[in-house]
Amino acid sequence: MKSPARHAIALGDAAYPACLRDLSEPPRVLYVIGSPELLVPGLGVIGARKATPYGLTTARRFAGWAAAAGVTIISGAAVGCDMAGQLAARSSGGSTIAVLGCGADVDYPSGSADLLQDLRSNCAVISELPWGSPPSRWTFVRRNRIIAALSAALLVVEAGLPSGTFSTADFALDLGRDVLAVPGAITHPESRGANRLIRQGATPITDVSELGDALRLAGLDVEFAQEAAQLTLPSGAIERALLAEAQRPDDLARALDCDVVTIARRLGELEMGGNVVRYRDGRYGFVAAR
Amino acid sequence: MPQATVFAATIAGVEALPVEVQADVTSGLPGFGIVGLADTAVLEARDRVRSALRAAGFEFPNARVLVNLAPAPLRKHGTGFDLPIALAILTATRQIPAGLTAGSSAVGELALDGSVRSVAGTLAYALAAARCGHDLIGPGGALAAARAVEGLTCHRLDVLQELRTGFSALPVVAHYCSGGFTEPDLLDVAGHAGARRVLEVAAAGGHNLLMVGPPGSGKTLLARRLPGILPQLDDAERLASALVHSVAGLDEAPLLAGRRPFRAPHHTCSVAGLAGGGSPPRPGEMSLAHNGVLFLDELAEFSPSALQTLRQPMEDGSLTLVRAEGRVRYPARFTLVAAMNPCPCGFLGDPDRTCDCADGIIRRYNTRVGGPLMDRMDLVVRVDRIDPDLLLGAEQGESSSVVRERVLATREFACRRGGLSSGLSGAALLDACRLTGATSRLFTETARRHHFSGRAVTRVLRVARTLADMDAEKRVSAAHLAEAVGYRGWENR
Repeated sequence: MKSPARHAIALGDAAYPACLRDLSEPPRVLYVIGSPELLVPGLGVIGARKATPYGLTTARRFAGWAAAAGVTIISGAAVGCDMAGQLAARSSGGSTIAVLGCGADVDYPSGSADLLQDLRSNCAVISELPWGSPPSRWTFVRRNRIIAALSAALLVVEAGLPSGTFSTADFALDLGRDVLAVPGAITHPESRGANRLIRQGATPITDVSELGDALRLAGLDVEFAQEAAQLTLPSGAIERALLAEAQRPDDLARALDCDVVTIARRLGELEMGGNVVRYRDGRYGFVAAR
Repeated sequence: MPQATVFAATIAGVEALPVEVQADVTSGLPGFGIVGLADTAVLEARDRVRSALRAAGFEFPNARVLVNLAPAPLRKHGTGFDLPIALAILTATRQIPAGLTAGSSAVGELALDGSVRSVAGTLAYALAAARCGHDLIGPGGALAAARAVEGLTCHRLDVLQELRTGFSALPVVAHYCSGGFTEPDLLDVAGHAGARRVLEVAAAGGHNLLMVGPPGSGKTLLARRLPGILPQLDDAERLASALVHSVAGLDEAPLLAGRRPFRAPHHTCSVAGLAGGGSPPRPGEMSLAHNGVLFLDELAEFSPSALQTLRQPMEDGSLTLVRAEGRVRYPARFTLVAAMNPCPCGFLGDPDRTCDCADGIIRRYNTRVGGPLMDRMDLVVRVDRIDPDLLLGAEQGESSSVVRERVLATREFACRRGGLSSGLSGAALLDACRLTGATSRLFTETARRHHFSGRAVTRVLRVARTLADMDAEKRVSAAHLAEAVGYRGWENR
């Protein structure tokens, strides 16, 4: 197999992405594996590494839809929301760029190795660090400013508090980029970050048409894309309770004044049907159509 | 001819194998030799026997004494040979009548003053004697356990001096007295409705259980209450479990009274500690938990090699140690109850505390247990810290005795149907489940979606069968299956 093309694009080159020049300290040299012509403003999709199924679902939903609409998805290829969004973008046939905090030829994090291989061959993986540079703590914060600069709009799908996604959002605000955030339940610690962004002025995104509007406002061309399947509202009390908030079976039983056996059986049925997923922490949450 | 034979036995695994102690006293250069693959403890018997005989007022022959332990190729362990050797020498030198030890097996360690001490494994010796149709001669302390063996006549011998007056016969008690012990009660557990349900399922069907939750959430509290909702050991189980404890030199009295063993080894436990080993081999914690509960707290902190030894016994109910000196088989049919934190800091998913663990560290922590072991966990339940209101409030769960009544009823229903589901597999299991076509299709679809292994399918069906037993239903319904799938761990889907 032919190894993908490597490019080192200096600040003065014609191929250097114009949007990166907005940065106060633009990268002197941009190391690219893949197609440099993809480096146009797009939609940044970022979120927590320790994602809940809710965060992963929303990342997939919005990144997949935007990529199908012809918008390039920019992210950091980290485990969790980043990876979910980028994989969804790939599977909907769109293009997506990974910005790394190590050399563009380094597979880090190791969990993303397959994704990175795919992107190098079919899209682009970029970094401001020379080939082979190892990852270190500070390089990731620096990397976040490149994600922010490449994004015409930045969508935060899920963020707790404190969270690394905030540094990306701060960079985006400094650069005058639009910051979008997916709201979450006020009771979820995993949603506190995204909800705070909304309070600070980020645009809340609750469905794809709102995302489409926001992308057009940010100056991106949004082609016609198939609306994601409409969410069918569930009917049962357990389903409705779960839709509002992911819950533990015990709390659900107490809230609905129902015995645990009934709850356990209904949850099992919903899980078998794929409508409900179990979070890593033992809570159950409703899954919207993917 | 100055020769005599007394029966004895040596422990191999949890069994005592019969050994003949032959003494030959001939004129010649005075000496005392023991032949027949004896270990150091047996060889030291020479000095103990010599002193004990003299102290008891008998005469140690001033002649050539040869003791042979037959069959010669069998390796003999332990100090239990002291008494039979002494008896053989006394019989050979006509200091006691030959009829006194005829048809008897003897076991006991001698002290230098002539008193007889009990040794580990009395129950095994008693069973071996009963099997050979012998009576058992031994010290009073040891014979307490031997009384549990039906049809065995015991002769009590506390000091060698008593040989002059004859044995004092012990009253024969066919059954050891039942009960007389209390287990921790479920009444002490507030809240935890889901975990209580799972504990009851584990008790009803003998399923393995993993509890995951932050520190202090009550995992250990719940686990310690499992024996209290299990039925008492039946007669066969009592003997089998007590046998392992007896061989290991532990007190077997509670087990003979029907109390289920509950073993909770610390997580620094070694492979040999868990599986058994050493020279001579001793049973490990898994075997000591035979017919009972093996509780492994902080499962992820156990050494991976120790944990992996659990796998075979969890399937077979026994384990075989193969060593240079031979192979021994230990019974190990236990209900595994394990507890672990969701991550190294313990607070992943806690609503009030934040978890500081990096994603990779959490993943590595969870893989310490390993897929094959996780696959064998029938029930996985999250146990969370409960609200202080609930802890101090009036809400109180059922007591252990109420739950145990239900468990007993379930087990009775299961037995009438054809046996506990944890013992079923393959066609017999499918047969017992009697799935309808629609339920079967639904389950196949779920199994495919969640990438269930063959073992996972079996284990989900077993749990579903137990859930149906709890409802006293002959057929496993979709609801039972759904609940069983919900109890499956999420790491192995």
